[in-house]
Amino acid sequence: MKSYLKLVPISARVHRKQNRMCIFCIVLAVFLITVIFGMADMFIRSQMIEARERYGNWHVILKNVDEETAALICARPEVRTSSWYGVLNYSGQEDYTLLSPRDMAGVEEKGSVSGGEPMDLEENAADRKVVICGAEESFLREIMEDEIQEGVFPRSEREVLVTQNASALSGLRIGDRIGIRTPDKETYPFVISGFMKNTSKIMEDDTYGVFLSSEGFHLLSPSLENESASVRDDVLYLQFSGDRRIREIIDGIKAQYGLSVEQIGENTALLGLMGQSGEAFMTRIYGAAALLFFLVMLAGILMITSSLNSNVAARTEFYGMLRCIGATPEQVIRLVRKEALYWCRTAIPLGVAAGVAVIWALCGILRLLGPAYFGKMPVFGLSVPGILVGVLAGIGTVLLAAQTPARRASRVSPLAVVSGNAGGLKPVRPWAYARSFKVDTALGIHHARASRKNFLLMTGSFALSIMLFLSFSVTVDFMNHALTPMRPWAEDLSVISPDPAHPIEESLVSALKENPAVKRVYGRKVASGTPAVTGGTKGTIDLVSYEEHQFEWAKKYLLEGSVKEVFGQTGTGLAVSGPQGGIRAGDVILVQGSQGMEEIRIVGVVTECPFNGTAEGGTVICSEETFDNLTGETKSGYTVVDIQLTREASEKDVQEIRQMAGPQAVFSDSRMGNNNVRGSFYSFGLFIYGFLVVIALIAVFNIVNSIAMSVSSRKTQYGIFRAVGLGSGQLWRMVAAEAATYAVSGGVCGCTLGLWLNRLLFQSLVTSRWGEPWQAPLWELSVILVMMALSVVLAVSGPVRKIRDMPVVDVLGGK
Amino acid sequence: MEILRAENLGKIYGKGEAKVEALKKVSFSLERGEFTVVTGESGSGKSTLLNCLGALDAPTSGKVYVDGQDLFAMREEERTIFRRRHIGFIFQAFQLVPELDVEQNIVFPLLLDYRKPDTEALEEILEVLGLKDRRRHLPGQLSGGQQQRVAIGRALITKPKMVLADEPTGNLDSKNSQDVMELLMRASRHYQQTILMITHNMNLAASADRVLRVADGILTDLGGKADEKLS
Repeated sequence: MKSYLKLVPISARVHRKQNRMCIFCIVLAVFLITVIFGMADMFIRSQMIEARERYGNWHVILKNVDEETAALICARPEVRTSSWYGVLNYSGQEDYTLLSPRDMAGVEEKGSVSGGEPMDLEENAADRKVVICGAEESFLREIMEDEIQEGVFPRSEREVLVTQNASALSGLRIGDRIGIRTPDKETYPFVISGFMKNTSKIMEDDTYGVFLSSEGFHLLSPSLENESASVRDDVLYLQFSGDRRIREIIDGIKAQYGLSVEQIGENTALLGLMGQSGEAFMTRIYGAAALLFFLVMLAGILMITSSLNSNVAARTEFYGMLRCIGATPEQVIRLVRKEALYWCRTAIPLGVAAGVAVIWALCGILRLLGPAYFGKMPVFGLSVPGILVGVLAGIGTVLLAAQTPARRASRVSPLAVVSGNAGGLKPVRPWAYARSFKVDTALGIHHARASRKNFLLMTGSFALSIMLFLSFSVTVDFMNHALTPMRPWAEDLSVISPDPAHPIEESLVSALKENPAVKRVYGRKVASGTPAVTGGTKGTIDLVSYEEHQFEWAKKYLLEGSVKEVFGQTGTGLAVSGPQGGIRAGDVILVQGSQGMEEIRIVGVVTECPFNGTAEGGTVICSEETFDNLTGETKSGYTVVDIQLTREASEKDVQEIRQMAGPQAVFSDSRMGNNNVRGSFYSFGLFIYGFLVVIALIAVFNIVNSIAMSVSSRKTQYGIFRAVGLGSGQLWRMVAAEAATYAVSGGVCGCTLGLWLNRLLFQSLVTSRWGEPWQAPLWELSVILVMMALSVVLAVSGPVRKIRDMPVVDVLGGK
Repeated sequence: MEILRAENLGKIYGKGEAKVEALKKVSFSLERGEFTVVTGESGSGKSTLLNCLGALDAPTSGKVYVDGQDLFAMREEERTIFRRRHIGFIFQAFQLVPELDVEQNIVFPLLLDYRKPDTEALEEILEVLGLKDRRRHLPGQLSGGQQQRVAIGRALITKPKMVLADEPTGNLDSKNSQDVMELLMRASRHYQQTILMITHNMNLAASADRVLRVADGILTDLGGKADEKLS
């Protein structure tokens, strides 16, 4: 032994058991911080990949800017890529159509021709509209990457990219000659240069999409060809280099070229994930994230401080003894610090390694569960911020927390130790035994409160677990609002009647029910803007009929009243709560029916329905029988027929259904949009629930370990108690009372502050955006409180059983 | 009247080469009011014997009867309650609870038994131990001798049938040691209690009724003033 500091590893070997719990606490804290920060990092990385894929790898779009200004902006060194982009018939309502190669047989190669018939891309298909986009090549190469599935970007103004749905329907091939017919019956021939992916919008609107070069695009709007970009309504997409100063660059461009707020559109999803969004709502999200991460750091710091503090007593005596044999206070401080760092040597790598392993496992599971959504997520990616924060928080906290015992030990008088009064070194608070509790319980409570610092740290540690859980649980509400989860009635396909006079026939519903690819089919009859008197006020309502499936789903969204009654009884209805609707259960409304004004008794109110009504009186749902009675409908049929497909349903099945629907009906395919929403919802949900599970587990481990440490530090005292006659049951009660004191005080503080934080975060993330008022999260509160109670029971049982099974002399001897 | 009887008491620590036989077939008995001293070298097995007699540790073999009851035939909880009520302990290192004051430390075994301390008995003990003006002091505020007096008070408060003292004077100077001995004797006479005390001090052993010697785990009765009962 060359230096007195070599005592540290020797002492560590001797006190291995005692130190193990301290090390475990540091491991837990570092693990918590590494996992939470690392998971957040991985989440952001994966979301950025997804955002680039889904919304495009651009940062801002500029609207209504002239070419000169655009050229100046594009020449700036921070602009990596730019592209003009224009779109015709975005909503799919205008009469732009495609002509097939067969239709184009008689059309000349160059220039436009009048006449021509719409492209018959499929037998019996309605004439489907086409959405036309035009941009520079860089748009599909660098901004909307991977959109071209086959072929190349149009190399001339006469080449075109076509969406996959068009090729799938008519067997188009690269090199085929097709045409675009404009609303003024002009036909423009193009040669297919390749195929693009479908978008959820064109699938839902039942349209085709074509993509042209900027020059080709301008051919289709000859009247605007010589106009400036701002008149043509083209927008300029910009992608900046670097990820850091984007906000600054945007503000700089805005100021330098005098652009208004309306002229600049941001890619909120991408900029938000990069921490560069200037939107007020994103700023609130950053604030909430900062608060949550501050809480995580605080929890880690408190866990370490609390564990070291529990270890103070025994170590103070030990260092006091060193003072006796001649160690200077400075040497003692050095020794204590070295010991703390010695723990870090094991604990921090362990905590970081465990954290990284969990992140890898999580990423692996995510990739396995949803390759479509998480395929690009790195399985063995390292989160540098997560590891750095974990290491720094670990070392910093351990060193800071070690200062107290070091200072206390250095102040110990050698005389006090020499006189054998080592126990007197510890400051003790006299016990005032009030007879409101049994002596064992009272002493347990006293033990918890004996050291004010320890009590505060333990209370803080318990409270922070609750606060963390309650704060993070707001992100679930946020997720449920931001990413509308799939409603039970979410349809894969819809067949919509374009004209109320020609409803979708019930025979279609019957036929679809027989189709093996169809899981469920349900129709709705809609009478929009029906005159009605609600609450004495004349106005209109939207009357919608439900069948059994929809009534069953409505039960989940029932705010008051009953769903059952309206299904079984004519003349009754359900109101949909909303800004227009002041209708309550029990109200009677008058509705204009075929026989004059008729009564509908409202027997329930639901919060959601699949129909977005616009009538001032709100939406009223009734049974088909009531609907038919009211409207005097004799021709049976539906306004909308929704279809949910089985998992096995193929594209061929969808085409079959489309043909069954006939050319007159509007056919909408929502599968792609649903998949996107589902993907975002699941990925966000997995991370959010992952955070909550990690926090909950850490809370359990922390409680179990803290109580075990506390019991361990009082082992000798329990030995004395047992020697003078403390029974096993009494020992259990004593330790349980101590743990319960921490739990109750921590619970009260945690609930109070946690609810306050929950409210603050809810109002910032949800109320401010969607207007939903905050409600006490009773379910989440119950979960965390029950879990804490179970943890306390678990925490008490282990050490008590251990002490009980040890001979009293061993406990006395502190073995 | 026989208060304590040990029959073929044996205690073995460890296994194989590390095996140590701390007690070897120890048998003896103590009468009510008898003041007995156990002597022996360090590591001879004295403390092991005391711990086994007081049910702080379980013997490997043999039986211990206190007031006719087989200690190790009882269930753990039953034994604890029995020990709480009938056996008092005094330790060399005092083993007081640092946050309890003098009075609380003394009455603590009664509190554990959910009994209300008898004020008169407490006053009497405080008086006898000379701790009346120290009753609100914490152990850390007392001298070694005073702390050991508190420990004696704690051992006597339940009026146990037997008091076991493991070198109660080991941490004290000669003056304090003499005081503690006198106190124990007075208590023994006053409450008719059987006292079994471990000591190295042969001067102290001289004043005992009986002296037992432990060497290599074997107990030898050295006799003493056996007939001269304390009264």
